[in-house]
Amino acid sequence: MSEDVIFTPLQFRNLTVKNRIFRSNISGKFDNEDGSLTQTRINWECKFAAGGVGAIISSYVPVLMEGRIIAGYATIHRDDFIPLWKRLGEAVHRFDCKYIMQLSHSGRQMDIPGVHNSHRPALSSTSRKESLHGFLCRAAGKAEIDHLVEAFAAGAWRAREAGLDGVELHAANGYLFTQFLSSGINDRSDEYGGPLQNRARFLLEVIRAIRARVGRDFHLQVKLSAVDRNNVIPWEKKGNVLADTIEVAKWCESEGADAIHVSTGSLFPHPLNPPGDFSFETIATTYDAMISSGVDTFRNFLLFRYRLLRPIFRWIWFRMKKGLPIEGVSLEEARAIKASVVVPVLNTGGYQTASFIRSGIASGAFDGVAIARSLVANNDLVRQWAMGRDRPERPCTYCNKCLLNAPKNPMGCYELARFPSREAMIDELMTIYATRPTLNLPPVVA
Amino acid sequence: MLAPEPPVTYVETELHRRRRLLLAALAVLALFLLIGLVAVAFGLVAAKRLTVNRTEAYPDIIAHFERGSIGADEGSGMPYWVWQALPRLFPETFGGRLDYRAFGFLYRTDDQGRQEDLPIGISKRDYQGVDLVWFNCAVCHTGTYRTSEGAPRAVVAGMPSNNLDLYRFIRFVLDAGADERLAPDTLIPAMQAAGANLGLIERQVWKFYVIPRVREGFIQRRSRLAPFLAEQAAWGPGRVDTFNPYKLVQMRTPLAAIAPAERHGASDFPSIFNQKPREGMQLHWDGNNSSLKERNLSAALGAGVTPDTVDHAAIERVAAWLGDLRPPPSPHQVDPAAAARGRALYMNACAACHGYQDRGRYVFEGANLGKVDPNSNLQADPGRLDSYTEAFRQRQLAELFAGTPYQFKHFVKTDGYANLPLDALWLRGPYLHNGSVPTLRDLLAPPAQRPAAYVRGIDVIDGKNGGFVSPPCTPGQPLPQGFCYDTRLPGNGNGGHVYGTALPVAEKDDLIAYLLTF
Repeated sequence: MSEDVIFTPLQFRNLTVKNRIFRSNISGKFDNEDGSLTQTRINWECKFAAGGVGAIISSYVPVLMEGRIIAGYATIHRDDFIPLWKRLGEAVHRFDCKYIMQLSHSGRQMDIPGVHNSHRPALSSTSRKESLHGFLCRAAGKAEIDHLVEAFAAGAWRAREAGLDGVELHAANGYLFTQFLSSGINDRSDEYGGPLQNRARFLLEVIRAIRARVGRDFHLQVKLSAVDRNNVIPWEKKGNVLADTIEVAKWCESEGADAIHVSTGSLFPHPLNPPGDFSFETIATTYDAMISSGVDTFRNFLLFRYRLLRPIFRWIWFRMKKGLPIEGVSLEEARAIKASVVVPVLNTGGYQTASFIRSGIASGAFDGVAIARSLVANNDLVRQWAMGRDRPERPCTYCNKCLLNAPKNPMGCYELARFPSREAMIDELMTIYATRPTLNLPPVVA
Repeated sequence: MLAPEPPVTYVETELHRRRRLLLAALAVLALFLLIGLVAVAFGLVAAKRLTVNRTEAYPDIIAHFERGSIGADEGSGMPYWVWQALPRLFPETFGGRLDYRAFGFLYRTDDQGRQEDLPIGISKRDYQGVDLVWFNCAVCHTGTYRTSEGAPRAVVAGMPSNNLDLYRFIRFVLDAGADERLAPDTLIPAMQAAGANLGLIERQVWKFYVIPRVREGFIQRRSRLAPFLAEQAAWGPGRVDTFNPYKLVQMRTPLAAIAPAERHGASDFPSIFNQKPREGMQLHWDGNNSSLKERNLSAALGAGVTPDTVDHAAIERVAAWLGDLRPPPSPHQVDPAAAARGRALYMNACAACHGYQDRGRYVFEGANLGKVDPNSNLQADPGRLDSYTEAFRQRQLAELFAGTPYQFKHFVKTDGYANLPLDALWLRGPYLHNGSVPTLRDLLAPPAQRPAAYVRGIDVIDGKNGGFVSPPCTPGQPLPQGFCYDTRLPGNGNGGHVYGTALPVAEKDDLIAYLLTF
């Protein structure tokens, strides 16, 4: 099926990917507290590489320890981590799979701060607490912004030094870049706030700094939320609209971005990202891991745990989804952005059906798709498509239990209905831990 | 003691801060709640208090007459404790006594022989938590007599209040309102000395609310009434100017609008026995109303009720009792033969206008009894007649009790003085409407020979001349007792009613002998 557009290589300026399927950024707490990655992560990424995806976009990789989303995700803040990432790259490359490191900074969206960050407010564009969990933050000053820009440039340089195939700036889903970009969040009165051009300044400065550091020939893509829909908590402002994001995408392109990755929503999670269900029974058992992270978390925990209170959050969460599909939830926004830029456009949002992706590419909505949950459910989804299946036999149900388990439990599929037994589900979750690393003996100090 | 463990995370630090704020807010809320509760409690107590309007009911009719409220206490009264404190603050006026005898008020004694706290004619009412006191009917219609200087004093309900110097009392009250001694800092201790038991809050209520209001009322009445009273001759005991204060206080007529001729209306308090037979007669000295009910209500207004505060039932209870109230029989011992001769003379010359006494009973018969004799005939002092004007009558009819069944309809303007029944004549001296003639014997003298000035306020009856012992006096000279009435002052003239003045002395003696039996 070499004529299948899904399996047509996607050519970026500096990178060619063998097909149109990207493993979207997803991670578990696989790594060490100091930010160094582990064998578990290598195992995790290789599952997808083996499954046939053209490229893997890493999990959110913080460029600084103070930008961690969840303590336990690997970071790229130290030069001595380069060999570790290099090893990961090598592992993935064996499957003819590219590896794109997603450079990230949590800003105020810091789900589990960990020992490094719990004693201080997170840096953000604003000093207003995050709206969903009540994460506390502090507006960064100019010198701090310069430091952040430099950290991203250094992260990109380390990725290149590690032999990885490119970087993605995570400027979507409510993390630090979104906190600057979104008119619903950014309340600054300096040159980084106010009009769109000012709000985009931080992102564009980062792109410029990366280009200055790594040169013109290293793949750099930017993930953007097409529409903020920042009013998940009903009294919050709506934030950026599609027209704003189209402008930002064009500016990114002219600053040297090689691709735009289109997502949606100014928070993570967001009712539309990842699209699908919200399992109260699951989150009632996992959200406790986040209670100490924010000032509104305990309130949420009560809303999640008690059946009588659940309708409140159900209304908040589900009112935005009405009338929208799960698969291709932001397809039309991707199409609008693709129409405005020259560089390739990727889209994410519930993709699981080959024919649907084919028609999306064919109709010019996007050039490729980034998938996380459907690949977690079926690591070999791409191979199934290659063998002619349109949808896997046991598809991802979009239950989002993988997402809701993330703060507390191993990453993986928790949809019991997809497994013959609970044991089978646990066995599957444990596969990435089935490692026998060489255990070193610490030196004896006299 | 262990130092409190510092919070580990920034979120906890923030939550600690919020909890402190929340605690502070809760504390403030609790405080407000407490204040609110206290306010509600105070409000309820205050509301209960402020809706109080209660006065004692006296089953005994005499007690009701002497002490029961007709609504004047609420309408015009002063607080009981101010009343009780005044003698302590103004000893020079009260002659050093702690009661009101200096003004001629009368006191009963209780079963244990102790003097009652309030005089006859003063009622008490708990209005909005403050006991108010003021006049009822008895204040002007309860008098005393003694048969001789050393005899015990008898109190007679229904006779004119021959002791009460209302003019002096009113002037005192008006002046007290402007006196610095009525300031809370001196008044409250005097009230407490008089027995008032004021708590801390009560004291503040008195200091900042009750006393200022009382003074305000005093000052207001003073501003209306004092300039007028200053212009009038002192009324002396047993007298009142009925209508002029009424014009000034109730109707708020400016003094300038009261013509000089109207300003001297002082006249004697009347006796109020035997009211039923009087129904239909021209009542009041000038006969300006033939309705007992209206006359009673008008008199109540004079005592201080207002159309809002008047207690009609209380007044009507008194009126019903007065309908048949008989006066005590005359104690005078007279020569029966002389009285018989006098009766013949009287029946011939006087009975048509004044009825007559027969076998110890006054007979309300006479062609002209209770009718007005034009003053062109009578030639009495016109002060009282002129004080009641057509303009005032119009306002009485239009304004008082307007829209109620009690609205005045029967007032008329007359041209003279009414021929009054002479029941209880022995208790009604001095004579003529203004009390300008001290005894019956003087009344039978030509005006020029009547005493130009005499002493009022002595309650010893005069068995020879009728009326009370009334020695001549010189105005301005100090007296051991009583008040020197000067007939030469405006309104005090002793002219007129020359009937019988030309009789021979012997016939006058006979006539007086008969009149002493009335």
